[in-house]
Amino acid sequence: MISSLNLFWHLEWRIAAIRNGVRDALAYRGDFLLDFFGQAIVPVGIQLILWNSIFKSSGMSTFAGMTYAQLLAYTWTSVLFSQVRGGNYDFNLIELIRTGGLSVYMLRPVGVIEFTFFRGFGEKLFTATLCFALGAIATCFTSMTITNLIMGMMLAILGNLIHYLFGSALASIAFYWENAFAVLMVKNMAVSLLSGELIPLSIVPEKYAWVWQNTPFYLFVYGPTQVALGKWDHHLWFHHMGIGFLWLFAFWGMIKISWGISMKHYQGMGG
Amino acid sequence: MSQPAIIVQDIKRSFRSVKKEEGFKGTMKLLFNPEYLTHDALKGVTFTVAPGEFVGLIGANGAGKTTLLKILSGLIPPSSGEAKVLGHIPFERSLAYRKEISLVMGQKAQLWWDLPALEAFDLLRALYQIPKDVYKKRIDELTTLLDVTRLLNTQIRRLSLGERMKMEVIGAIIHLPKVIFLDEPTIGLDVLASKKLREFLKAHNQKEGATIILTSHNMDDISELCKRILLVKEGAMIYDGSPVTFTNQDECMLRIKLNTEPEMSDIAATLSIMETFVTKDEEDPTTYILNVARSKVAEHLQKLLLKYQVVDIGIQEPSLERVIQRIYSQ
Repeated sequence: MISSLNLFWHLEWRIAAIRNGVRDALAYRGDFLLDFFGQAIVPVGIQLILWNSIFKSSGMSTFAGMTYAQLLAYTWTSVLFSQVRGGNYDFNLIELIRTGGLSVYMLRPVGVIEFTFFRGFGEKLFTATLCFALGAIATCFTSMTITNLIMGMMLAILGNLIHYLFGSALASIAFYWENAFAVLMVKNMAVSLLSGELIPLSIVPEKYAWVWQNTPFYLFVYGPTQVALGKWDHHLWFHHMGIGFLWLFAFWGMIKISWGISMKHYQGMGG
Repeated sequence: MSQPAIIVQDIKRSFRSVKKEEGFKGTMKLLFNPEYLTHDALKGVTFTVAPGEFVGLIGANGAGKTTLLKILSGLIPPSSGEAKVLGHIPFERSLAYRKEISLVMGQKAQLWWDLPALEAFDLLRALYQIPKDVYKKRIDELTTLLDVTRLLNTQIRRLSLGERMKMEVIGAIIHLPKVIFLDEPTIGLDVLASKKLREFLKAHNQKEGATIILTSHNMDDISELCKRILLVKEGAMIYDGSPVTFTNQDECMLRIKLNTEPEMSDIAATLSIMETFVTKDEEDPTTYILNVARSKVAEHLQKLLLKYQVVDIGIQEPSLERVIQRIYSQ
């Protein structure tokens, strides 16, 4: 049984790691802000050009069941959540394995994966707060409600955690390959497409919908956006949160196995 | 008698790597038919270390020192053999074990580059469950001893190498580990910074009774801190004992003053010894220091007296650095 002292420690080091991560992320404010806004430009730009071209050239009033205004609303809302889903901490793990920097983390009396997550999560939590603030301002001018925004953000944060665990499980390949950046690059491209960050997933033809429906990626951006826009009711939100937790446990198990086996191949390079 | 803090029993460790050949052909071969090379970093090393001992682990580059420290700190498993530190098998990496040890790597930063040291120490305090009042007292004490109190709020990357290393050492011992592995902690440091760090480590070892294994290429570190040295050569332990006994073993320094100034290579050739064993006194260019076998002193003197006009002769004990240099070059 965990004593109250131990419970306090479990809580304290995680909070300290998050705090430390936030400070690290904000060490260079200009870089942080440029990264925050800059990362949003490409997906938003692509979508705006795409919708504009489709509606202007075809003269259609709806596309895949959505009006031009609805597609614009999706694009602007999804950007709030796509900023939360990301994070490069799985890339960091690969770099740590490759350069031997993981040694420093392995010596600490806490789990490597968890510690790296909480330090990286500090930054994401700050990003989520900023996105929430921007979303809250948007509720004054749109039909989005604060409750829906909160629910959407909760789903996006769960998505961030799932995304990290998935990336970390893949990162264990670096114990064998040494350099496994390409694996995560491919993963990120798949996530960009299947999360709804680049296009609303409702556009995907019915017969191919099973592809995104059977991955956890739609929980990162598409799901939260649907919740925030009021297209998923509370019942559906609970349902998808439940699915999210199932994915979370699955990936956690996958990490335990993959890292348990592959850490024996760690060489602690670089002196 | 108390149980050893560290037990190493016939530890072997091999590494496999891909052979990378030159040119386009080599690249293609690497892509379709890679060839693997196996390197034996440790070839059956055995020793024990008593609690509170300060041991120097020395050897040339690639001798296997860092590999041994990685095994002992639980970063990598041995290929065969057994290691136990404080009763724990290191690679099991139990929580209790990780709380009792520390590894300082001179070539690897453990603190976060963009954050001030104080922020990093605060996180370490939480990780190691150090009560806040104890932590504050300890930080005050350690930073005062190492003279870095004023730098606590400066980003790590803005510190000089010496200042950074002092912070690294504080970060490594803030939880008062029972066993500390120091891998070249004075690398790149100037004379003063090295001296300060040595004094600190000595005082810490005496005050806290921590068991310390130190690897260093700076023989001042070893001779000032370690009462015992382990010498590793090509993955095998070739000496385990006192540095004093080691230097007294079979050689001495023959100091001769001549009334001419011959080339050092001439003297080496006359005595049939390696040129690296002949040096000039920094203050007197006609005085030479020869690193020779104790049993051959008379024979060498005879040859020198026959060839040169010797003004003065003296015999002194060789420095640890000299002896190590000779062993490395063999």
